[in-house]
Amino acid sequence: MNRKNRWLNKKGVSLDSSLTRRDFLKSQAGLAVLMAASGVGVLGKAPVSRAGGYPDIGVARGGPAESARACVDLMGGMSSFVSSGDKVVIKPNMSFAHTPDRATNTNPRVVSALAEMCVDAGASRVMVLDNTLQSAQRCMELSGIRDACADIPNTRVETFDSRRFFQEVSIPEGESFRSTEVMRDVLDADVLIAAPVAKSHSATGVSVSMKGMMGLIRNRGVMHSRYNLNQAIVDLCTLLKADLTVVDATRVLSSHGPQGPGDVIEGELVLASRDMVAADAKTVELFPWYGRKIRPDQVEHIKMAHERGLGRMDLDNLEIQTVDA
Amino acid sequence: MNFKRTLQALSLFAFITLLLLAAFPLRTWFPTDFFLRLDPLVFAGTVLGAREWAGALLPGFLIILATLFLGRFFCSCICPMGVTLDISDRIFRPRDSGRNLSVQSLLTLRRVKYLVLFFILGTAIVGVSSVFIASPLSLITRFYGLVIYPFAVHVLDLGLDNLYMIYSGLGLQSLAYFEPQSYRFATQIFIMAFFILVFALVVLAPRFWCRSLCPAGALLAIFSRKPLLRRKVSTSCTECGLCQRRCPMQAIEEDPHRTSHQECIVCLECVRVCPEKAVSFQAGWNKEPAVSGFMPQRRKVMASVLGGVGSALLLQTGIREVRGDIVPGNVTPQFLIRPPGALEEEDFLSRCIRCGQCMKACPTNTLQPIWFEAGVLGLFSPKALPRRGPCDPTCNVCGRVCPTGAIRDLPINERVWARMGTARVVRGKCLAWAWDRKCLVCFEVCPYAALELRRVPGIDIPVPFVILEKCSGCGACEFHCPVQAQSAIVVEPMNSLRMNKGSYIEEGRAQGMVLDPDPDREREPPEEIMPDTEEPDDLPPGFTD
Repeated sequence: MNRKNRWLNKKGVSLDSSLTRRDFLKSQAGLAVLMAASGVGVLGKAPVSRAGGYPDIGVARGGPAESARACVDLMGGMSSFVSSGDKVVIKPNMSFAHTPDRATNTNPRVVSALAEMCVDAGASRVMVLDNTLQSAQRCMELSGIRDACADIPNTRVETFDSRRFFQEVSIPEGESFRSTEVMRDVLDADVLIAAPVAKSHSATGVSVSMKGMMGLIRNRGVMHSRYNLNQAIVDLCTLLKADLTVVDATRVLSSHGPQGPGDVIEGELVLASRDMVAADAKTVELFPWYGRKIRPDQVEHIKMAHERGLGRMDLDNLEIQTVDA
Repeated sequence: MNFKRTLQALSLFAFITLLLLAAFPLRTWFPTDFFLRLDPLVFAGTVLGAREWAGALLPGFLIILATLFLGRFFCSCICPMGVTLDISDRIFRPRDSGRNLSVQSLLTLRRVKYLVLFFILGTAIVGVSSVFIASPLSLITRFYGLVIYPFAVHVLDLGLDNLYMIYSGLGLQSLAYFEPQSYRFATQIFIMAFFILVFALVVLAPRFWCRSLCPAGALLAIFSRKPLLRRKVSTSCTECGLCQRRCPMQAIEEDPHRTSHQECIVCLECVRVCPEKAVSFQAGWNKEPAVSGFMPQRRKVMASVLGGVGSALLLQTGIREVRGDIVPGNVTPQFLIRPPGALEEEDFLSRCIRCGQCMKACPTNTLQPIWFEAGVLGLFSPKALPRRGPCDPTCNVCGRVCPTGAIRDLPINERVWARMGTARVVRGKCLAWAWDRKCLVCFEVCPYAALELRRVPGIDIPVPFVILEKCSGCGACEFHCPVQAQSAIVVEPMNSLRMNKGSYIEEGRAQGMVLDPDPDREREPPEEIMPDTEEPDDLPPGFTD
């Protein structure tokens, strides 16, 4: 199997001898298949699923960098995602020209910790990419992300505008949103890491890892105007399915997102999961939104993703490990 | 490379460097509008038209003073328009180089420039600025800034497009990820066509623009009739006539000993070509018989002035001529959004020389030259086009680079309050209002938190409302609105704050506006958008059951 686009969730990938466990998991879309592969019944209630002996969700409490490291360690460490020579794309939120205290962008220390872990695991190149809403230069500066990553070898923080940085690809599993232009560096990457900040969103309830994937494509406007936004997000995530999701909940914009200013909760947590849907669902469950309890199934794109087998929001059936970092 | 060429090359280089530096953030302490301020016509026309001494334009006045002593050195050595024409003349000069016009008709045509000058000054007498139609620095800045610069960036970008794979393949990351910002401008075809015409005039004579049409040249000519530094011909002259033929300005009279000083641009071509080394430039106000008939007849001068006055007054009766006063019957064009800090409309137009420097410098390309939206008198003046780009609240570069103060040079905290207009939601097109779709991009992107989501009966999701006192008219909402063709939220110049002097913050506060000085401020969260009667089933925005 081609090392390129390894993470791309392609249908009809042949099972040749070089296929790794990870490739195999990724080539299978259905929840049932995933569960069967991990030895869990489709209707399994009590037994929790364990992919390769690691919990489904790891939660770490403490400082940003320490927590990021601790929760990735719970998932088996970065070396179980990144092999020597791999090209990695990290997708944080850095769409707003805001300082970190506004909680609209990912904590720069979470991003830099992830980049360092990737480099330590042997990554040949780490790209930190987003498509900003406000002036790209100001976003990279004020978010603190460019500075935080400045001294990490083989790591670049970029935003793109020109068409040459994008490539049109189809979304085979898209129900309504069926093709889009994706950053070439993302398509070329071996590993995709979602590193969103946890925040509320006026149109989609919350904006965590799944919503964040809109930052890797060129024209996200059509996702609002032409399609049902929540459905389009799920469609996009069938294509851009992160290998590892690390949610920065060191502080959480719990109201008036995505731009705020709103109520910022000192979450002091970082979450990690192999499952974007589970990570997003757990984030929803952990914090109050607009001061009240929200269930994951009240976030339409999480619910749809679960129903379409992209991941799981049934937190009761997942193994969640919490550590202090 | 002779002395003049060296000066010319330096001048053009400095001009282009300053034009490139006119960008956000401004990375130089040196005024990027320096060359524009050197233009004597910009000085004369603006001071007369605006009826106000403009200290920033002092360099233009100093050029006039210096001309009394040095002659029209500005035209040969400094003016970037002149340098450009020297280059284009070399390229486009016809092969046969035979004159297509008789010497006499060329001499007559030379006087046209005075008529242009007096026409422009005539319009300025009634407070209208028409400097832009022929000021060399205004024209050449517009040419390089709005035509050549975007063209060059486009070519560069195409090159990068084609080499992207090579660069990234070679691991030249910095080159591969280099992304020059592309610019697009309205009216560029007209600017280009105008310059093609000017370049083509070489068919008639070299530097035809300078010798026959340029009003700044005419102004300097009036002050260089008897300069201190002047051409002298020694007795070794054999009257071969070579200098006469080579003079780009036809400034050497039939008797090669005599010079029309007002036409001489001190280029020293005659000194260089003289085989006898008989020509030199020396200081001295020695008596020479006055040159007669250098100016058009008094009657024609009067006619030009009156023509300017009359044209300006006539144009003021056009329906599209915009007045600043807000009274019924005064038609304000719907999308004429002026840059932040633009003076009151009439004063703005009397100062704006349409050089395009603000548009070149604008980081989001929102500033565009207009056609006739504000009538003939508004031609080429800047407006914001939010669909192209939002006005960045942290940027004040347009006012910083404006040579005439038509856009005020405001500190950032004042500039934030210089409201350009007000947004309004087009409910018939809005995804939330018209189709119950979750979009609310405008709410997301507004840097002033001027959008509020409210629940209204009959619509399932909260819908956007513009809070009047918080909207600065920056156009971020219109720019990002995903609705195609006309945006579902549009900015109009309604409630723009236009002030010739005083603090925008004070005036804005007095008007009840709430535009905090720092766009990245800690704001109070917008009004709670939950319904007043909180029922258990009501969910915050974006969540569904």
